[in-house]
Amino acid sequence: MESGNIILHEADYQRLRSILARTQKDLRAHLVMLIDRSGHHIACEGPDQEIDQTALASLAAANVAAANALAQIVGEPGFSVLYHQGNQRSIHISDVANRFSLVLVFDQTVASGVVRWKVRRATFFLDEILSEMLTRSDPSASASAPGQGTTETAQFTDEEINRLVGEINLK
Amino acid sequence: MTFINYVARELNCKIVYYGPGLGGKTTNLQHVYSITAPENKGKLISLATETERTLFFDFLPIDLGQIRGFRTRFHLYTVPGQVFYDASRKLILTGVDGVVFVADSQEERLDANLESISNLQLNLKEHGFDLSKIPYVLQLNKRDLPNALPAEELRKLLLVKGEPVFEAVAKKGIGVLDTLKAVVRQVLIKLRKSA
Repeated sequence: MESGNIILHEADYQRLRSILARTQKDLRAHLVMLIDRSGHHIACEGPDQEIDQTALASLAAANVAAANALAQIVGEPGFSVLYHQGNQRSIHISDVANRFSLVLVFDQTVASGVVRWKVRRATFFLDEILSEMLTRSDPSASASAPGQGTTETAQFTDEEINRLVGEINLK
Repeated sequence: MTFINYVARELNCKIVYYGPGLGGKTTNLQHVYSITAPENKGKLISLATETERTLFFDFLPIDLGQIRGFRTRFHLYTVPGQVFYDASRKLILTGVDGVVFVADSQEERLDANLESISNLQLNLKEHGFDLSKIPYVLQLNKRDLPNALPAEELRKLLLVKGEPVFEAVAKKGIGVLDTLKAVVRQVLIKLRKSA
């Protein structure tokens, strides 16, 4: 089932980044990225900025969706981990809080057991932060937490929306 | 399900182009890609068969300008139109913010259009969405073909909820941008209401 919007504020972002950074460092990963199930890239750490992060997020989310559909066909509720092994680099994708995925791009020199262990640890902490974040993203919860809600998007005027749409010419 | 990033001051939204096979969904994205400035677009990714039919989806990320200091980033997706790819179609609707239905105006494709709208309603429902409540635009494509049904007749048959309707010839770029603008407008209005 679909749920509401995801809202990322600075404090949560810094907490998420610190976990991604630690995982990246521990595994000497090229990239550690947190995405949501729609394919939006939430946060990312790693030295390899050449990788197209938008494309990676979109394809990883599709990969997760397809794998979960495959799982259901064979009677499993889902596959919590996807692992793509390459000659030089591999990709490890794992479920976080049933609504996000942690995507790692790393060298073949890193043992897969170490990857699993570090991912499990990261997931534990990410889960906690993301759960809190989702609670705050809930409009009913934000009413009691001033400044944490979607107040700025709620203030978009017709004029501002019309101006943005009117100016779309893509050139 | 919009991702509102207050850190990067970005709104990230997902638009899905839905409709029957060979109706012009991929052509819509290809046109948007062709007219978008390089700095405002990412790669156009197509997961297609050897015969260039969409197998899983096409994906195009574009930036559409700013509103109140928020950069608006729209992720445009198509679904495979062929009936037997329903499982893939359903997956692409995950977290959708708005839908463009690309109808094929040709008389012989009327049943395919109707079937695809029913399929859209069903698949949205499985994700917990109600077509009557989500941003939705109808595009009548292939208006240049001699066997195209009159637009008025198609409106009567395909309209779901009084959504905006645009006549298009996607391969020539006609109506593509207007369609996109209409769904973007609806998504932003919905975002304001849901805040």
